[in-house]
Amino acid sequence: MKIDRSKMGTDTLDGFGGDRIVRAAPAKPESYIPFQAEVVDIDVESSNTYLLSLRPMNEEDEHVAINYFPGQFLMVSVFGLGECPISIASSPTRDPLQICVREAGKITQGIMAARIGDVLGIRGPFGNGFPVGSMRGENVLIAGGGSGFATLRSLINYIADDREKFKEVTVVYGARTPQDLYFTTEYGSWQAAEIEVGITVDMIDATWKGNVGLVTSLLADLDPAPGASALCGPPMMIRVVAKDLLGRGFLEEDIHISLERHMKCGVGKCEHCTMGRYHVCTDGPIFSYDVVGDLI
Amino acid sequence: MTSTTALFISREDLIHLLEELSGTLEVVAPVLVGDEAAFATWRGEALALDDKNPLASPVEFFLPKKEVLFRYVQYSGRYTFSEDPPKARLIFGMRPCDLLALKVIDGIFGADLSDLPYAGRRRSTIIVALNCTSPGEGCFCRSMGSGPVAEGGYDLLLTDLGRGYLVEAGSPAGVYILRAHHRHFEEADIEDIKEKERLLALAGEKMIKRGPFPNPEKIREAIDGADWEEAGRRCLACGGCSFVCPVCHCFSVLDQGVPDGERLRCRDSCILSGFSRMTSGANPRPDPGERLRHWYLDKFVYIPEKTGLFGCVGCGRCSRVCLGEADRWSFFREATE
Repeated sequence: MKIDRSKMGTDTLDGFGGDRIVRAAPAKPESYIPFQAEVVDIDVESSNTYLLSLRPMNEEDEHVAINYFPGQFLMVSVFGLGECPISIASSPTRDPLQICVREAGKITQGIMAARIGDVLGIRGPFGNGFPVGSMRGENVLIAGGGSGFATLRSLINYIADDREKFKEVTVVYGARTPQDLYFTTEYGSWQAAEIEVGITVDMIDATWKGNVGLVTSLLADLDPAPGASALCGPPMMIRVVAKDLLGRGFLEEDIHISLERHMKCGVGKCEHCTMGRYHVCTDGPIFSYDVVGDLI
Repeated sequence: MTSTTALFISREDLIHLLEELSGTLEVVAPVLVGDEAAFATWRGEALALDDKNPLASPVEFFLPKKEVLFRYVQYSGRYTFSEDPPKARLIFGMRPCDLLALKVIDGIFGADLSDLPYAGRRRSTIIVALNCTSPGEGCFCRSMGSGPVAEGGYDLLLTDLGRGYLVEAGSPAGVYILRAHHRHFEEADIEDIKEKERLLALAGEKMIKRGPFPNPEKIREAIDGADWEEAGRRCLACGGCSFVCPVCHCFSVLDQGVPDGERLRCRDSCILSGFSRMTSGANPRPDPGERLRHWYLDKFVYIPEKTGLFGCVGCGRCSRVCLGEADRWSFFREATE
């Protein structure tokens, strides 16, 4: 897809965004009608996870493919099956727009049944995204578990493309088995961009020569310096990693957690994703530990 | 005839007025459906205005139980979409509690126009409100500041004086109706206005006598101190309270039809066990007591933070339907006495 990057906005919001990217507004804030995006490429990340590249069909919707933040999500429709929230796996610094979908229910099965040239419905981007603005000039630790790594890949590539603005960057990632690891072909490019990468799995097979155990064991090995952090994964992993980071001197307000909830609208009205007084879709999905520490 | 004066309309003329209006608008009014009053499209039947406020709130005409968000038609793998335009409608006999409920929902659905279906219906609906001269048994609108007198949010406001209705306009659209149909109205005299005040004061007193009433200021404390495990055991998690609540607005979205079909929005309830369950099976609020607590917190803490208004208008409907003896009204009352 050809994107005229000169059209990318220059507005910034406090703590969010940077010199290149505007905080994106939903494509059609007033309506529940999605826009259509064509599936232009499909990668297999694991036995039950595909990475789909999307291109908006209409020129007026193309801005969505660049105007978003790492950590934001889309409401993806398969007409006839329904709509569900899927985090954006690509970085706004790179083409194309990508979503990483793991088979979980009928809608994700429908998305994964799409072939190149098929059309999906898209609303969004929604949610706040990671506060990349405030991460600049800081050490950054990124910790992911399982399919939660998809949204973090957006942040990692975003940082890799603007590497000199960040201090030490460390990525730790754990999956159930070596076959469940996502984006394995990209670890080398991250290391080349001076990002420290630690990978671990719970269960090994004969071919695995890497680490075994929890992501916290990687933290003990890599000993990241305090700074900003981004977490996404199963609730148990989030709790354990957040505690570990607090012990290392990370501040509660610098631990940014991406949360998952059931969602129907994406715009703070259907009430499915409420967590106390917060709507995960509009107040989140990224929350800092000082806000949600006692809710997760 | 000026717009600021109160007018009077006889019972017969009111029917004639509604007949004329139903020529251009869909008129919705409380009529008897079986033995119970319910808001429905009016086709000339007797109005059921003397009964208590219908169990199904007229707010449902703004947020229907089920509606088509849009239709999708597939051709050659590509889709075209269509939406229905909102219907021009007049809702007759809406009570003050439901008016305030609508204002709360405005704060959630309408303010930023991010919900086009709601905003469209809001703009294309005329509201003829009815002051509440005979509040129902479980009503506590006085405590929640929503009634028995309507404080705005209507196009026309009626007060039942027995032999007819006192009519006041509350918007340009209301004034327009009074002018266009002026032959049905006569000017009200000072006695009519005095009578209105007397009747409404009486309605307020009736509720006070039935007290003691909940004190909204104390409800946060009551929620923190309540035994939610016990409440969860009594609650059947049927969702009845939230389906009759005029402020409740949870919804679910689903598709019907392949390859062409409709995307539907239908009412849902945070009281139901699967409401926040994710596809993975993880459920952030698995316990009925926890969900009940969230329901109260939303109404008395979170919605006020967002809209400046309580998420409860004191209509008492939740108590009318509760099967689990988790009787809402007594919770409020006992908790805040």
